[in-house]
Amino acid sequence: MSEGVEAMSTIALVQEPEHAFTQPSKGRVAMFCVIIAESAIFTIFVVAYIYNIGKSLYGPTPRQVLEIPIFNSICLLSSSLTIWLSEHAIERGKVKSFGLWWGLTFVLGAIFLAGTGVEWHKLIYEDGLTISTNLFGTTFYSLVGLHASHVIIGLIALLTVLLFTVTGHVRQEHAERIQILALYWHFVDAVWIIVFTVVYILGR
Amino acid sequence: MADSTYPMPGSLAEAPRQRWSQAAILEWLHSWVTTVDHKKLGILYMLYSIFFLLVGGVEAILIRIQLMQPNLHFISPQVFNRLFTMHGTTMVFLVGMTYIFGFANYLIPLMIGARDMAFPRLNALSFWLTFFGGLLLYYSFIGGGGLYGQGNAPDVGWWAYAPLTSRAFTPGHSTDYWALSLIVTGFGTIGASVNVVATALCMRCKGMTLMRLPLFVWLNVVTSALALITITPLTAAQIMLLIDRYLGGHFFDTQAGGSAVVWAHFFWIFGHPEVYVLVLPAFAIANEVIPVFSRKAIFGYPAMAAASVAIAFVSLGVWAHHMFTIGMTSVGNAFFVLSTMLVGIPTGIKIFNWIATMWGGKIRFATPMLFCTGFLVQFLLAGLTGIMLSVAPWDWQLHNSYFVIAHFHYVLVGGIVFCIFAGIYYWYPKVTGRMLSETLGKWHFWLFVIGFHITFDLMHIPGLLGMPRSIYTYEANRGWGTLNMIISIGGLIQAVAVLVFAVNLVWSYFKGKEAGNDPWDAWTLEWAAASPPPAYNFATDPVVTSRRPLWDLKHPEDPDWKYE
Amino acid sequence: METHEQSNSSPHGETIHLPAPTAWPIVMAFGVTLIFAGFVTNMIVSILGAVFFVTSAVGWFRQVLPHEAHEDLPVEAHDITIASTRTHVTRIEISEEHRAHLPVETYPILSGIKGGIAGGIAMIFPALLYGILSHHSIWYPVNLLGGAGVANWSNPTTQDIAAFHIQGLIVATIIHIATSVLVGLLYGAMLPMLPRHPIVLGGIIAPLLWTGLLHSTLGIINPVLDDRIAWGWFVVSQVAFGMVAGFVVARQGKIRTGQSMPFVLRMGIEASGLHSGEGEDRH
Repeated sequence: MSEGVEAMSTIALVQEPEHAFTQPSKGRVAMFCVIIAESAIFTIFVVAYIYNIGKSLYGPTPRQVLEIPIFNSICLLSSSLTIWLSEHAIERGKVKSFGLWWGLTFVLGAIFLAGTGVEWHKLIYEDGLTISTNLFGTTFYSLVGLHASHVIIGLIALLTVLLFTVTGHVRQEHAERIQILALYWHFVDAVWIIVFTVVYILGR
Repeated sequence: MADSTYPMPGSLAEAPRQRWSQAAILEWLHSWVTTVDHKKLGILYMLYSIFFLLVGGVEAILIRIQLMQPNLHFISPQVFNRLFTMHGTTMVFLVGMTYIFGFANYLIPLMIGARDMAFPRLNALSFWLTFFGGLLLYYSFIGGGGLYGQGNAPDVGWWAYAPLTSRAFTPGHSTDYWALSLIVTGFGTIGASVNVVATALCMRCKGMTLMRLPLFVWLNVVTSALALITITPLTAAQIMLLIDRYLGGHFFDTQAGGSAVVWAHFFWIFGHPEVYVLVLPAFAIANEVIPVFSRKAIFGYPAMAAASVAIAFVSLGVWAHHMFTIGMTSVGNAFFVLSTMLVGIPTGIKIFNWIATMWGGKIRFATPMLFCTGFLVQFLLAGLTGIMLSVAPWDWQLHNSYFVIAHFHYVLVGGIVFCIFAGIYYWYPKVTGRMLSETLGKWHFWLFVIGFHITFDLMHIPGLLGMPRSIYTYEANRGWGTLNMIISIGGLIQAVAVLVFAVNLVWSYFKGKEAGNDPWDAWTLEWAAASPPPAYNFATDPVVTSRRPLWDLKHPEDPDWKYE
Repeated sequence: METHEQSNSSPHGETIHLPAPTAWPIVMAFGVTLIFAGFVTNMIVSILGAVFFVTSAVGWFRQVLPHEAHEDLPVEAHDITIASTRTHVTRIEISEEHRAHLPVETYPILSGIKGGIAGGIAMIFPALLYGILSHHSIWYPVNLLGGAGVANWSNPTTQDIAAFHIQGLIVATIIHIATSVLVGLLYGAMLPMLPRHPIVLGGIIAPLLWTGLLHSTLGIINPVLDDRIAWGWFVVSQVAFGMVAGFVVARQGKIRTGQSMPFVLRMGIEASGLHSGEGEDRH
């Protein structure tokens, strides 16, 4: 038996280079790296937010002015589902259904962004809360704004792909690139869950 | 050189030999600014790094001249503050962060048998971001409207503690230049790090499994992964700083409920892992140089790789040892004391493995090996003073003193700069096709090692005697005068050594001995390419079967894969 | 998508695909820097930077989509021979006995505890002898050791120390038992690692080193004890401990360590056939 083990290991060593040598896709690895780096930025802003909860010396306080953006959040989170459906579609080569789901994702993201805009408009003009009003304003606008800026970048990317789809340039072989882009969108959605929890649940 | 040149416009071997007509110069310049070749970008990174090493060195010399004697007024206090701020910022961000990617860019694709980095254009973008970021930082000397509107470089220390950075205490734009330029170079670093990780994971040649990657590549992957989560917190904190300064935010404004201590936390969450980001690539160089000049395979390859990962992990939980004197709970103190001491374990594993690699080997003390030997000794000592400073009560005594300065310069100069020199002496023949002069190299080494020890060994003592860091000058009756004089003389000796090095770089480029492909009789794939390598690196994709592919080819009767 | 640069491994005389040089990265980097520089100079600079950025983004995009721009480089026929002048390979010879630090055999844990207890008892006699000879009291050394545990004892007189204190006795006993057992364990673990004459090394030299260490640091740890301690007697009782503990430990039978077993056994892999040769020896 022990002889058998030895013989096997020798053979394995010699044969190793013959094995199929697979490496991860570089696009995916790069996107994961970017996501890790972005997570670190968000971590710092989230920590700053949590640390400063209730430290404002004067109002307005979150309880007075913040309303929970339920509809917005549902839109953004469901866009993760639609982009997943579009990923599936392009993998199977169904360009039409891909375009449909992708477009829906873009619309949902845009609704979220518009919703944030409405919320900010109300906060600034009705409640008088700006970034320099108090500590809450500073941390709120910077954290939510950081997330919103990522949504904007994501929307620009989504729009670009959408334009390519409409002009008929997207084909099945682009599935991997699209999935990599979708990874970023999933990340933006996942971050919103954290931001939402911290700002609208813990922070109120 | 004739047999190893390639008809590549602008390749290092060709360029200086062209007639210097205007068109030729333009074409040459064009080939460098538009290049996406990892080797050219690596060279650019290294030149940039060496250039700023000289700039930062000049700043250090000015600081040392000012401190030579008590009550000296060689430069004004304002200039002094700018100098030590710019010295720190330059050395960490423009020298430290760029030498990493210089070596990584040039060597990783060659070592893993690839044609280029995973993202060649992103690679170019990353370099130019770093490049322009550095220029922006130095533009502050003329552009940063200070108190009276004249040029004013950042002068708040490289750690830029709040609330000194608030509008009330630093009017003008000098601090903004600091934050903005470092955000720009930070983008460059993130791009380059993504590239390194993707290259090493996805571009390996056939047979190059993860456990056969040269340790150089392993350590650079760990470095880049660490850089991804290290640089970004600084970027985040600097964005907060800018929000405070421009939009009237209150992050670090204690009068509105904010906290200046939070800045210190955020800065050191970046700042301490940053030290490991800088030192791991130095380890990477030692990992290649020491085995080759000991004529033995590296001892404990898996332990070395694992220890690097362990260092990266542990380094994320030690930052507050920079803040013992700011005040923490005793639990906090104890945690950061212990986690800091924990770093000693993986680092110790590495030092033992290097010694075990040398043990019983047929050591050749060529210049790269001399520098690596110096590195081993000095890094050990630096680690020991690090353990001393990790003890909170000891740190309460010596924080912000010259003892701390001596400790981290022991790491940064005695550890990292020595390894950078070793790496340059080792790979210069590959890059240019010519050897660096050994005679000048020995002069460089001995002058530098003597100057280093005169400066930084003695620098511990004024620290123990109570001399604080960042002071402009001091009274004669403190008894620090003689020591400071000797320390400054040591600094000048180091400057002479660096000049010898610079002369060596230039002289050897034109007159050096022809190197051939494999001057050191080494074992990693880059020595299988021509010197300098053609743009495509390898005409055919290599296939490897062990950690030392060239050993297998040189000793077919006794290949490595039998033992792995 | 990443096959473009890689898989095209061509033999001599052909061309190799490489990404084409491009100026867009430097333009984009310049644009980004200008955008940031605009904050501290003038908004126009930022706008100019944004123009650079957008232009370069579009230019870059058009270069990589739908196909990445490449240039074909001719391959120079160039044979690289890889050879070394150092053809002689030697291996470092290590004899089987050269195992000073990873002993093949060691003492069981219990032997260390036994040695510690025996040594601890042996140590009592010179200590008590010292107490009787110097201060006519067997409680003097006990109180010296246990004094740290007796509360409100500051600057005690010699009479104080020579008298009987129940607290001092309890504390001294606890300290004595604990240290004796721990040091005994240490002996059990260390003796097989000491080269040659383990008893001499462990029994005399180690106590001397230990005493030296204490001698230099006791002033900081326990100044009262440092004032009164008689170092000669201290050494005698330490050596008594070391000799007796070492002797007791050395008399116990040795057991084989994991170091002598094959790798599979040390990893605890259970598989039929593996144990046939070694399995019996383990018990």
